[in-house]
Amino acid sequence: MLAVRDGELDALGELFERHHGPLFGFLVKFTGQRTAAEDIAQTVFQRMLKYRHTYRDDGSFAAWMYHLARRCAADHFRKANAAPFATDPADLTHHAEDAPHAGDRAATRDDHALLHTALARLDRDDREVLLLARFQELSFAEISGILECSVGAAKVRAHRALHELRTIYLKLQQQRPA
Amino acid sequence: MNCTSARDLFPELLDRRAAGSTHPEARAHLATCLECQRDFSALNQTLTALDTMPTPAPTPRLRQNFYAMLEEEKHSAASVRTASTHVHRTRRFALATWILSPLAGCALLALGFIAGTWTTAPASVNTSGDATQRELASMREQITQQNAQLGKMTQLVGYQLLQHQQGPTNDRLREVLASANTAQPDDKVLDNLISALAFDPSSNVRLRALEALYAHADRPVVRSGVLASLPREQNPLVQIELIDFVAAARNREAAPVLEKMAKNTAIDRSVRDAARRALAQL
Repeated sequence: MLAVRDGELDALGELFERHHGPLFGFLVKFTGQRTAAEDIAQTVFQRMLKYRHTYRDDGSFAAWMYHLARRCAADHFRKANAAPFATDPADLTHHAEDAPHAGDRAATRDDHALLHTALARLDRDDREVLLLARFQELSFAEISGILECSVGAAKVRAHRALHELRTIYLKLQQQRPA
Repeated sequence: MNCTSARDLFPELLDRRAAGSTHPEARAHLATCLECQRDFSALNQTLTALDTMPTPAPTPRLRQNFYAMLEEEKHSAASVRTASTHVHRTRRFALATWILSPLAGCALLALGFIAGTWTTAPASVNTSGDATQRELASMREQITQQNAQLGKMTQLVGYQLLQHQQGPTNDRLREVLASANTAQPDDKVLDNLISALAFDPSSNVRLRALEALYAHADRPVVRSGVLASLPREQNPLVQIELIDFVAAARNREAAPVLEKMAKNTAIDRSVRDAARRALAQL
């Protein structure tokens, strides 16, 4: 990113290839919408270009990227709350694919669908800290930088989020018809 | 170790990156306590399900859009360099106009005076009082004419300068972009950007000026300039960007202005929300 900041814009291509997959995965789980996740990922890289002069070599690039992603996602949720609800056709396909199938795969798919629902029911802040801590290979020091809180507070929030997810997930499992 | 202390360490025991030998006391407690084993197992089950959740891949559209954006930015950066050269030339010309115009005015005045002196008949030693009066009146008339000419020239220069300030938006935008591209901007360049942010009639120019100022958000002159622009800004889009700027720059002096904005029902709702968020960040 230092090279990008100094004017070598092509270097951003390498960063895109290395990080866009995990970033998209985080955003899909965070927003629950593929199209929105793609739009936000696009905006994140757009802002990297726009604010490249503000990049400082005092932390990891991934932490800076997720810091931007968090702000872009906040903008997305703000706009989504203001705009009338529209169903994303990509999500319809996604749900149709996730519907229970016959055979052994049914249970697994059901579990994934339940977990999707449990994640969606989780408070947005809890979902965010849980996804950052579990999937993005970030240390709690980096997560605390992204969330702008202390390391201890980040750990407590991740712990609380995991407990909350477990409670919702178990409740959904019990409600599932046998 | 009791159950509460052991449960506080569960997230660390479940962390994939943690070594298997960490927190031996908690592990020893877990081996003997059935209640904690149940709790740990439920958490582990949730995390395992979370880990096996499939992560979809993005569509090719994301890659296509990214590289299209990168190309556009590269062209834009190149065009800004060209614009910067053009602006430097324009500035050199403007400087020449500033220096040469008053000099030309003075030169014309002096020329008129000399011409007037030559064309007037030399005063005779024995001239009468009336002749002297006529001579003086003639000289006064010439001086008045010269002054009128000088006044016209001054007006012309002023008009040109005004036109320069009120030039097309594109030119002003180009100037702002050129300033943004300056590697080590001096106070004059920053002053220009802050002036554009505060006074330019085009919101696009104001936005680009603000964007250029991001790189210098730690300089006191920039912080106070942006803060001064915040209450006078009327465009909600620019207001939100200004609020984001003061929040990103951790400018605590902005808190009173943000509080006022957050309570002002006359302004756009999204601006009020942005002000509230910024206050929380500060």
